[in-house]
Amino acid sequence: MKLRILLADDHEIVRRGLCALLQKHEGWEVCGEASDGREAIEMAKQLKPDVVIVDIGMPHLNGLDTTRQLLQHDPHFKVIVLTITDSDQVIREALDAGARGFVLKSDAARDLVSAVEALQSKRMFFTPRVNDLVLAGFLEKGHAISRNEPPNLPTLTVREREVTQLLAEGKSSKEVASLLSLSTKTVETHRSNIMRKLSLHSIRDLVVYAIKNNIIQIQMPPQLRSTTETTVV
Amino acid sequence: MPVRILLVDDHPVVRQGLRTLLEGRSGWEVVGEASDGIEALDKIENLQPDVVVLDVTMPRMNGLEACRMIQRKQKANPEVLFVTQHDSPQMMREALDAGARGYVVKSNAARDLLEAVEAVSQHRVFTALTRSPQASC
Repeated sequence: MKLRILLADDHEIVRRGLCALLQKHEGWEVCGEASDGREAIEMAKQLKPDVVIVDIGMPHLNGLDTTRQLLQHDPHFKVIVLTITDSDQVIREALDAGARGFVLKSDAARDLVSAVEALQSKRMFFTPRVNDLVLAGFLEKGHAISRNEPPNLPTLTVREREVTQLLAEGKSSKEVASLLSLSTKTVETHRSNIMRKLSLHSIRDLVVYAIKNNIIQIQMPPQLRSTTETTVV
Repeated sequence: MPVRILLVDDHPVVRQGLRTLLEGRSGWEVVGEASDGIEALDKIENLQPDVVVLDVTMPRMNGLEACRMIQRKQKANPEVLFVTQHDSPQMMREALDAGARGYVVKSNAARDLLEAVEAVSQHRVFTALTRSPQASC
């Protein structure tokens, strides 16, 4: 029996690279590819893969919430999170979400095969940085991971987090309603509840919250020579 | 004449994805890979590619600096095509000002890359943000 892997990343070029890497391994097959978290969940329910590899920074539904929803649906799913950052907070959230593997994208060519092998053998795989953090947590506080600040996310329901991500991505209530198959009025209600629960007063505040809590990710460009220049293309 | 291509990106998985896409095209050859701007300058000197596919954000030397250096210092004069996640007109302008001939957003690379390499290898400009691919002479 081949080991069946589902890949979820919004960049086709990355999926091509990951496919090429994984399919070199005899006995493994990529059974499906998804370009965002919502598609990944649908495909996982349908294809029942042995391993799901999810990028953390996907549109519509990020990799952490995808992991949470997958494991809520079926705790037997084995998920590897691919990320561009190994900050304490992202590691903490990936572990909290139930990921059994955590691989930096920059090291994927080296670590991803080992991670899949580990999960195949019912073990977990984390980058050395995660091991250091977990160990430090045990040594300092006697539990798995030290927490400098409590995460804000649990105050929102699964649906509210989905709505938060889509609004922070710049979508209107109508667009969110269409994507989530809800009425615009329901989305507006979710939006009011989110703003009230988090004590936010504008969409700008919501975007800042989403970035700080890894609901959406941004990568800063290198310093441009003319950052104040108005550009018309 | 085959088109000789150098791939420059700090993520090996992205380079692999670009390679599988480009190698499907007969007459094109990926002659080498580099993981940052400094390594790219060395490889250009040695391999003399026709087209350099260049990422913007990389360690040691980013793609914009590398592009400017290619225009200034290299004896060989390859065309530069940026493949980047920065979907921004300002960044695109900066890339073209640095001497690049093409600009493609990574999320659309699978759609735009072949057309872009084709264009820049013939010394034509190709720019494409997410919604508006454009090729011009």
